[in-house]
Amino acid sequence: MIEMNSIVKRYGQQTVLSDVTFQVKEREIFGLLGPSGAGKTTIINILTNQLEADGGNHRIGAAAFEIGLVLDEDGLYVRLSCLENLNIFADIYAIPHTKSLEALERVGLTDAAKKPVNKLSRGMRQRLALARAILHSPKILFLDEPTSGLDPGTARGIHGLIKDMRDSGATIFLTTHNMDEAVKLCDRAALLHKGSIVEQGAPADICDRHHAMKTVPDLESVFIKLTGVELG
Amino acid sequence: MRSVKAIFIKQAKDMLKNPMILVQFIIYPAVAFIMTELIAKSNPDIPSNIFVTMMAAIFAGMALILSMSGIIAEDVERKSLRMLVMAGVKPQEYLLGAGGFILLAGITVSAVFGLIGVFTGLELVKFLAVMVTGIVASIILGAVIGILAKNQQMATAIATPVAMILGFTPMIASFNGTVEKMASVLYTQQLNVIVNDYSANFTKALAVNGINILVLLILFIFIYRRKGLRG
Repeated sequence: MIEMNSIVKRYGQQTVLSDVTFQVKEREIFGLLGPSGAGKTTIINILTNQLEADGGNHRIGAAAFEIGLVLDEDGLYVRLSCLENLNIFADIYAIPHTKSLEALERVGLTDAAKKPVNKLSRGMRQRLALARAILHSPKILFLDEPTSGLDPGTARGIHGLIKDMRDSGATIFLTTHNMDEAVKLCDRAALLHKGSIVEQGAPADICDRHHAMKTVPDLESVFIKLTGVELG
Repeated sequence: MRSVKAIFIKQAKDMLKNPMILVQFIIYPAVAFIMTELIAKSNPDIPSNIFVTMMAAIFAGMALILSMSGIIAEDVERKSLRMLVMAGVKPQEYLLGAGGFILLAGITVSAVFGLIGVFTGLELVKFLAVMVTGIVASIILGAVIGILAKNQQMATAIATPVAMILGFTPMIASFNGTVEKMASVLYTQQLNVIVNDYSANFTKALAVNGINILVLLILFIFIYRRKGLRG
């Protein structure tokens, strides 16, 4: 569904991506993991044709209107309500406005439908950006750090939604610097370091190959078990 | 066409909630109305339409440049334009939608000026015709500035002096013959000449404004091709 072959990207003398190669299969959640500045956003920008690579080639098995995006900056119209924001895109995609309400319901923002975006919390804005991305039931969903800076409860809600999208047939390409998120969410992942992919495969296989399987104390589960309340 | 309509509706809804832009479409006709009622109508020595024509010329020459440049710069800065482009909206569709709405709003405000002033039928036609050419020229110039600017602050920093030069040159020209000659090539000067004297050469004014629009359009295409509009 998505392919990158030997992609190279330079900014002046600095090489930010070197020989990046990977494939993403249909209906899988593929995670690109790496710290800030590793080149994750650059890869999304190249895949979505916002940026040209200096070498190599890439291919996406979907037209522009079949792609959904959540980027680092949400690009929402801050004075308009949640519903008005989605209706603009419903008009562009030529789908009925009822789909906007459905998308809001899926991300749990039905009650905030008429609220202006500048009155929303960061987590709500992120969910609205996700609602806009899934509004037209895209074939491919690109998510750049979809849960960055969100509380665990909201992040878990977004994880559930991403899995739902995969189960309903979408291919998900996400970037994250949160390794736990990648293990919980991704069918396959690639580890990116200084613009190069150093390892890729299913998270469990990667850990197995590098003898990194371990059981970590899960305080979050204990908290939920004891209190019945989710963190955040 | 679908995308143009979506952007047009977006712009209409957004402008109603954006006091910075909205005020520019209200303040000039409001001042014209108040000054006409309080001063012009009670003073026979003052031409009855002086405040209407003055405010109309300033509106067409200044307010629309600031509005159009501000709208584009905000959408670029907030990355809203990038999301539209990624959804398949072509940059030219965006410009048509946003510019089309500003054009309609500008024509509506011109009609309000027409209602406030005292015009004969022919004067009103000339007034509206020359206003439309001025509005179109200002929208294109505003779009050029909006594309050039990296953010809203930069757009305001460029648009304000440009709008002031275009808006105030006709006033300076009325006191200085040399400035008047030089200013005669500007659309704001022709706008000012026609709205103040309906017996002036209307064809010449339309021709000058037409050339202004053409020159600005060439400038717009040049800047657009170099800078693009992807946000």
